[in-house]
Amino acid sequence: MSTSKHDRTHHAKKATGIGDPQCFKGEAGKAKFKVGDRVRVKDLSDVFYSRTQTYPRGAVGTVTVLVYESPAPEDEAWDNTDKSEWFYSVKFRQKDLWPDYPDLYANDTLETELSERWLEKA
Amino acid sequence: MSSPTRDRVLRHIDVVGQMQPALHKQTHAPAPDQIDHTLFRAYTRMPHDVGGEPDVPITWEEKEEEQWELNTFATCECLAWRGVWNAEERRRRQNVDLGQTQYLGLPYYGRWLLTAARIMVDKQYVTLTELVNKIDEVKKRHEHK
Repeated sequence: MSTSKHDRTHHAKKATGIGDPQCFKGEAGKAKFKVGDRVRVKDLSDVFYSRTQTYPRGAVGTVTVLVYESPAPEDEAWDNTDKSEWFYSVKFRQKDLWPDYPDLYANDTLETELSERWLEKA
Repeated sequence: MSSPTRDRVLRHIDVVGQMQPALHKQTHAPAPDQIDHTLFRAYTRMPHDVGGEPDVPITWEEKEEEQWELNTFATCECLAWRGVWNAEERRRRQNVDLGQTQYLGLPYYGRWLLTAARIMVDKQYVTLTELVNKIDEVKKRHEHK
């Protein structure tokens, strides 16, 4: 059997006593967006893996919180944790997401979390 | 040639035949020019990305976790503590890699358990031969009960 040279306990060593994603704090550098910024969700390929849902892609929302720094799911899902990025909570109008959403509930909103690579300035 | 094994095999072929195609068109062995970008995207979609999909209401049922479900959870957590996978790799494997049919068709902890076995083989902690032999051994033990 071939054996891997990869240190498979690197994540446990880093996160023990600190927590995840707290252990990645300070690794993402300067955040590209700030609270209140209008952002559009990119329609990148999600081939193999992502946690960015399809339904908000192309829609414009408002950043409400810079939530934490962490490797993106697309990388972490293969244990690549070298690069962290900012995660943003973004609020959308429900009417902007669902074509048939009733006018009666025009004030309804939906908030979801997206990593920086998925966002562009609107 | 009837036997319990043949019965099982024929029942399997009947059931998987009912599972496909998910696309209600003639789909088997398409020529490359029959797969446009829209279809490619639909086929390679992540099964866990269900937001906005039309569906019927599901009845909410309060259910206690069964012992095998708790054992499965503990097993998967141990695999994480020992560095075999992290939570994101586990989610990729149990929510996306296994494909739409298994994602929608198996119980929640069934997917956890299947994925735990899979990663042990993928990362060479056990060989598939060892796993198959173990499954056979356990099956026989239960048959003799």
